[in-house]
Amino acid sequence: MKSRSRRYIIGGLIVLAALSYLIYTGMQDAVVYFVTPSELKAQTGTSDRFLRLGGMVVQGSLQKDLKKLTYRFQITDGAQSIPVHFQGIPPDLFAEGKGAVVEGKLDSVGIFQATTIMAKHSEEYSPPAKDHPASRSFVPSKETQRP
Amino acid sequence: MTATIGHASVVIAFLLALWGMIAPIIGSRTGRERFFATTRAAILGQFLLVTLASSSLIYALVTTDFSIKYVAFNTTRATPIYYRVTGLWGALEGSLLLWEWILIIFSGLVAWIYKDRHRELMPWVLMILSTVSAFFLAVIAFASNPFEGVFPVPLDGRGLNPLLEDANMITHPPLLYTGFVGLTVPYAFAMAALIIGKLDEAWIVTTRRWTITAWFFLTMGNLVGAWWSYHVLGWGGYWAWDPVENAAFMPWLPATAFLHSVQVQERRGMLKVWNLSLIIIAFSLTIFGTFLTRSGIISSIHAFSSGPVGTLFLSFLAFILISSFGLLAYRADKLKGRPELDSMVSRESAFLLNNVVLVSALFTIFLGTIFPLISEAVAGVQVSVGAPYFNSVTVPLFLLLVFLMGVGPMIAWRKASWDNLKRNFLWPAVAALTIALFLFIWWIRDFLPLLGFTLSAFVVFSILFDTALAVRARCRIEGEWIGSALVTLARRNQRRYGGLVVHLGIVLIVLGIAGSMSYSIERQATLNVGETLAVGQYKIRFEGLRGSQQPTHYRVQGAFRVFNNGDESGVFSPTLKFFPTQQSPIGRAVFRSTFTEDLYLILSGFSELQQNRATLKVLVRPLVAWIWLGGLVIALGTLVAIWPFKQSAVSE
Repeated sequence: MKSRSRRYIIGGLIVLAALSYLIYTGMQDAVVYFVTPSELKAQTGTSDRFLRLGGMVVQGSLQKDLKKLTYRFQITDGAQSIPVHFQGIPPDLFAEGKGAVVEGKLDSVGIFQATTIMAKHSEEYSPPAKDHPASRSFVPSKETQRP
Repeated sequence: MTATIGHASVVIAFLLALWGMIAPIIGSRTGRERFFATTRAAILGQFLLVTLASSSLIYALVTTDFSIKYVAFNTTRATPIYYRVTGLWGALEGSLLLWEWILIIFSGLVAWIYKDRHRELMPWVLMILSTVSAFFLAVIAFASNPFEGVFPVPLDGRGLNPLLEDANMITHPPLLYTGFVGLTVPYAFAMAALIIGKLDEAWIVTTRRWTITAWFFLTMGNLVGAWWSYHVLGWGGYWAWDPVENAAFMPWLPATAFLHSVQVQERRGMLKVWNLSLIIIAFSLTIFGTFLTRSGIISSIHAFSSGPVGTLFLSFLAFILISSFGLLAYRADKLKGRPELDSMVSRESAFLLNNVVLVSALFTIFLGTIFPLISEAVAGVQVSVGAPYFNSVTVPLFLLLVFLMGVGPMIAWRKASWDNLKRNFLWPAVAALTIALFLFIWWIRDFLPLLGFTLSAFVVFSILFDTALAVRARCRIEGEWIGSALVTLARRNQRRYGGLVVHLGIVLIVLGIAGSMSYSIERQATLNVGETLAVGQYKIRFEGLRGSQQPTHYRVQGAFRVFNNGDESGVFSPTLKFFPTQQSPIGRAVFRSTFTEDLYLILSGFSELQQNRATLKVLVRPLVAWIWLGGLVIALGTLVAIWPFKQSAVSE
């Protein structure tokens, strides 16, 4: 009886260890942090992490090349702004002066290379604040989601 | 008037539900059987009243009675009649009423079918069902009233979200709710068994068909949701690990585990506490799912309205968990397990491992879904957990499950001998490895898809091999021909053969997912009229745009001529629809589906002035059609498992 329950405990521990390993490695490249342009500017050095950058698309900053499907624009939180490059098809609601969240990495020259653009779903936009997390009021566009 | 009738019915039904909760307690205290009979009457009364309330709302929707806010928000004068009816589950308030309606239909069926059986158990079963019903009725009556009026009465309604005006949306929510509600029945029997302390296998045997039925609806609800996402949402995918999808999928995991582990209890008297826990968790997750989607605490594609409903569901969830597990702890002395595992190589242990894997998958998905909440509450950091997490964590677990599907149904109970293993698994394993070798040489070099296909082949061969042996034995002994031997086998042991057919369906889904996850091609480009885009063996030529005014929207269609390996396969017309009530256009993708692959075209934009340019997204996704075929096979298997054959009821 003793050895039997010990066997269950060992089995349970193995399962637990395997599961923790799966979760840990899975989380490594899938947890995406949400930052504002000011927070991103304040960061020193480049990081290889995937980030979500949220703010407003600066009026007049959008340059698009429909042939190559490239989009260049600035994202601002009112205080700071970050240049963003994107290649692909942005969601329908994406426009200058509207809220957007982009997902990608900051490259070595300070341009945010986005792989995904998420546009804000409703009409009213309030700049991100601690008590009103902007990331929640944004709806990811399925079209541009990573596979 | 309609609103008054509807709301009054809900309030009275709520009072009846309260009586249904109290009567069994009074009955058991005073020992008067009459009180038990009134419980049943209370259920039937609720059934009539909720049916009246639902009919009132449907009537108001069909007659576009815009004095009711819900009707004004979810229909217009132009809405076709069938979408007016389905407006019943177009938004939160109506969905809750539909849920309650299905719940009380199930409860009424339970009260009626077991009228003269399970005399001890039934009052408590009906009490639990009344409690759940009372909760929903309270929410409908006092927090999320679908009969709320609006003044001044608008001239026309706002209408359903056009994305929901689709045949699949007619079926997806009712299927899912039926699955959720179906789990309430085994849960109610389990709790009743705990209350009276009769913890033999009676509650499991009685609810077997109910559980299989609930599981079936849950499976179909999720598959139809995936189908809708793939065919209507127009992003080319069927599953995004969105919190709302996870909410619908999570109850499926413990429900599946439960279906398997109850067999161990029926057969060997083991796992009693485990089975009770599984059904409590499965039922709780149906409530948790509604809390998650309706509270607005997690951002999701499925933007639902929020309100007090989320908090109410969270409180009810806490109540269920505390009372159910409290009851379980209280009865712990009666739940002492009988024999332990005899051997690690046995059907019990295969089923146990299946359960461990399913619960692990549940845990990882649950963690991924609520991780953003934990992170923000604990560290104050806003994060999101993407699909890569869910894929990388669940794929190994699901592959292990596929392997177990090939082993579990064939391996011997108690202790599998070496001979048993060799007889059942040698040939299927050899056949699967041969297939793997062929696949490796000619097609597939990546490890995970190769493993997926090999394990799937192993399951198919082990099922076919086992069935073939049984059929051959019958042919020899009884002198039957193959077809009739198969039918007799299936009728004699319908749960087993139904289950095996369901397993084959799951394998088809696994093949579809493995193929489309690993070998999809995606291209996007902006084309001028006359230009061609090459994707895989396809060439797609843009031939122009056409705009036209439709009854409810303005439609822009692109014309794309498709060549498959040089052969013309017609003109595809992906569409963008502009609804006056919507901020942005709604796309309608077009696709051609074959059993090898789907070609999927999405029109994502066009030049409005010259109308000579279109932005196109093209996807080539292999084997997706197998997922939907798998759904049909699962339906067939479920029918085999629960079909009420007259003779098999005796022989079992």
